[in-house]
Amino acid sequence: MNRILNWFRLRRLEGDLNRELQYHIDRRVADLIHSGLPETEARRRAALELGGATQVREEVRDIWLTRWLRDFVYDLRFSARSFLQSPSFTATAVLSLSLGIGATTALYSLVDQLVLRALPADHPERLVLIDWIGFQNAETLGTDNLMSYPICRDLQQQKEFFDGVFCRAATTINLSTSGEPRLTAAELVSGTYFSLLGLSPALGRLLTIDDDQAPGSSPVVVLSYDFWKNQFGSAQDIVGRKVLVNQYPMTVVGVAAPAFHGIDVGEVPSLWIPAVMSAQAIPGFNTMLDRRTRWVQILGRLKQNVSLAQAQTGLQPWFKAMLDEDTRRTNISRASAEHRREFLASTLALTPAPQGHSVLRHDFSRPLWVLFVATLVLLALAGLNVAGLFLARGSARHREVSTRLALGASRGRIGRQLLADSVLLAFTGGLLGIVMAPVAVRALIAFLPRNTAAADLEANVDTRMLLFAFLVSLATGFLAGCVPALQAGRKSLESSLRERGGTPSGGLSLRRGIVTAQIAFTLILVVAAGLFIQTLHGLLAKGPGFETSNLISFGIRPALNGYSGAEETQLIRRISEGIRNSGSTQASAIAVVQLLLEGAWSNSLTIQSGERFTTDREVQMNAVTPGFFETLRTRIVAGRDFNEHDSLDVALVNQSLPVSKNGQRVVIVNEAFVKRYFGGRNPLGAHIAMGSQPDAKPDTEIIGVVQNISYRSLREQWEQAYFPIGTELSGSNFYVRFRGTPESAFRSIRGILRNADPTLPITYFRTLDEQIDRSLNTERMLSALSSSFGTLALLFSLVGLYGVMSFVVTQRRREIGIRLALGATRLSTIWLVLRDALVMIAGGTAIALPCVWALGRLVESQLYDVKPTDPVTILAATLVLCSTALGAAVIPARRASAVNPSDALRFE
Amino acid sequence: MSSSRFPIPQGTLDMLILQILSLEPAHGYGIAQRLEQISKSVVQVNQGSLYPALHRLEQKCWLKANWKESETGREAKFYSLTRSGQNQLRVEKDSWARLTGAVQLIFDEGIAQ
Repeated sequence: MNRILNWFRLRRLEGDLNRELQYHIDRRVADLIHSGLPETEARRRAALELGGATQVREEVRDIWLTRWLRDFVYDLRFSARSFLQSPSFTATAVLSLSLGIGATTALYSLVDQLVLRALPADHPERLVLIDWIGFQNAETLGTDNLMSYPICRDLQQQKEFFDGVFCRAATTINLSTSGEPRLTAAELVSGTYFSLLGLSPALGRLLTIDDDQAPGSSPVVVLSYDFWKNQFGSAQDIVGRKVLVNQYPMTVVGVAAPAFHGIDVGEVPSLWIPAVMSAQAIPGFNTMLDRRTRWVQILGRLKQNVSLAQAQTGLQPWFKAMLDEDTRRTNISRASAEHRREFLASTLALTPAPQGHSVLRHDFSRPLWVLFVATLVLLALAGLNVAGLFLARGSARHREVSTRLALGASRGRIGRQLLADSVLLAFTGGLLGIVMAPVAVRALIAFLPRNTAAADLEANVDTRMLLFAFLVSLATGFLAGCVPALQAGRKSLESSLRERGGTPSGGLSLRRGIVTAQIAFTLILVVAAGLFIQTLHGLLAKGPGFETSNLISFGIRPALNGYSGAEETQLIRRISEGIRNSGSTQASAIAVVQLLLEGAWSNSLTIQSGERFTTDREVQMNAVTPGFFETLRTRIVAGRDFNEHDSLDVALVNQSLPVSKNGQRVVIVNEAFVKRYFGGRNPLGAHIAMGSQPDAKPDTEIIGVVQNISYRSLREQWEQAYFPIGTELSGSNFYVRFRGTPESAFRSIRGILRNADPTLPITYFRTLDEQIDRSLNTERMLSALSSSFGTLALLFSLVGLYGVMSFVVTQRRREIGIRLALGATRLSTIWLVLRDALVMIAGGTAIALPCVWALGRLVESQLYDVKPTDPVTILAATLVLCSTALGAAVIPARRASAVNPSDALRFE
Repeated sequence: MSSSRFPIPQGTLDMLILQILSLEPAHGYGIAQRLEQISKSVVQVNQGSLYPALHRLEQKCWLKANWKESETGREAKFYSLTRSGQNQLRVEKDSWARLTGAVQLIFDEGIAQ
């Protein structure tokens, strides 16, 4: 440590040492003169006794820094000086390295935040997600790994495996603190949540097991630190204040610790509410204690000495017993025998969850890893490029190196000098990369779908990121430096000194190898870019099945503002009429489920058409007002649209199919439905029933067939069934086809909403074009990044190839001169040089193609309408690569053909 | 230089420096002179190896140094023992005593035979 410090105070140390030695000599000389020697003799004796001031100084310096460190400092200085002499070389190398390092660091930062980082909790490594594998026979509220609340309570009793178990559900509430109510992210949690995670409050108290008793018994909330700071200005008297959650008064009891952002990256709650208050937090939800409603994720912490496998095996007897009991205790007897079998075959699975639970992570970890690997490849390319540049420079410096060897430098010493070169470059590149990384992270976050995601993901430089960048720079430096360093000491000294100036051949085959590898890597990246671009274009070209231009969609949640029943219906009706009568509206309609937001309402159906059968998978459903398809400009290919007489009682939708006013039940299905279940035959007049129970009555008539439209995402093509929306309306999604500009339409709609209720919670408000853009975020991210990576990689290999070819031409100048003098044509000399390049290009392609085939499986799930081995894409990528590579090789080749024979021979 | 003086044994210079400095702080030239005096010109110290030794000991934090006015009125770098230097001196003296004791024992045995 001291020695490293010494590095920085070298100048002062040197000064001190000089003064010290001078003092010694002066005193000695004085003493010797005093004893009678003449001054010159005294000086000689004094210097002799000390054994040479320079040598003493050298020895002391070694003590300060240790030998290797000192040499390294000198090496770095030497490197820095020589780099400053060739600025273009340096700029190219540093820039390519910094691009590579910056991109890798940025991706790492996201991977780290989203996938790797453990929760700030007690023993996060022992946290597990508990999940039901199989058929749960339950209503679903939310997405991913859901179970019922009573199961969480059951699991809390399994004390031989768990320290504890908690459950949680993310939701959005309408929160009024003092001013206007606002939609706010909240987490409903069991009383065990905070204590099990081992968190302490910043203020007041956290939720405890006492907050987890009877439903509705504990109207309290805990605020997140950030929310308390931003919304309440860190008010110290916050504990005890009342807030309104969906107009229901609750008391703030505490503030959580600053570092805690909930257990879901990407859905950061502003407050925590006890699960027993779920009826107040989720309007219309009153089945907390029902085992047939799944809405919470359950996590537990394993006991110290219990392994995951032990717990999983140990829990099965209890789980089986519970399943058995469930079949008796609930109405599952109504389900079909098959469903019953599936239900009983369910198992319980534990998966490690040190990072908590996150849908965002689930959806994005794969694309992120793909991109991370791509950046690593890119970085390797940049490193190889610099290695190639070094080899080129190494051959130029060949005589310098040989001379140093001749003067007695060890080969290791020379190699170290070359390593110092590359390490210095890599660190300069790394520094630049660190400057670029936060910008890149910010750009990447913009590609992530949820607005909330941006809130918790940070684009800051933190220590983990710095450490990573440091390690990556070091690795790259070694990668770029070790090849030339190894090369440096290989050739015999004698022969290289005897060589004529300017014709060293060192490292040429190595450089050819490097360029071949670069071309291989590049082809892989270019193919990937091609595939992702095609995916994006394929999805955009396919479209959602309806016209998105001049279409606005927005959602309202009156229930969060205290509306219910007739009031809510009236409000929605008022808004609906306001919009229909507005001058800028062409058409408008309402749907229960929003399109393209990954949410869905689905169930299996029973179909009666001649014979009776059930759908083999769940059908996507929606309830819409008459005119919905017209508003979307989706064609009705057979039958008719709903009309006013079909409007139904929506409250009954979930139990069975709605009945219309005139006693008739109707449904419209899409083409995919007809294709799958009617084999293209006319489905009109056939009947269906909701669910697959044996006692389901198929009494709902299919009255129309519409084109396929995208429901959850553009990728899907699924069977759909539409029901008419009821007379009783609740929270809904409006679709408005407008005239004029979006801005004026937005303004007019906002005016209508404000008139109806200025504090009405609006969940979203955007054009469908924007909605489509959002739903394609991943695809856009993949195609934008992979094409920029591909371009960069291409650039790197072109520079590499060009470098090698120029070098070859310089080297063979004499030979080419002789050939020309002996009558070779210019064309044949071009061919002579190009042949070399062709071998490298062909070699790289030959390596890359099997890799493309092998890596295809990695990205297959991200593609649409194109196979990872798509011949057209691969051919096009190969063509692009080969033609640009040949272009890069032609320039030096032309230079070869322009060689003047007499000049070349005189050059000696 | 007289041939009766023999070069200082390897590794003992550090110990001698520590010993001299345990009496009072001194500068490099002072230590060289003291070494000459104490050893009554029997031991020959190569003055060239004195300074690397001082800096090595300083690096190990057994010595600390500061610039002070010397007896001639000029500024000189004075070395003094740190606490860990004092400990080190004790350790070295101890092991030196054990070593010489053991060597003596072997010699005595030779005489007894």
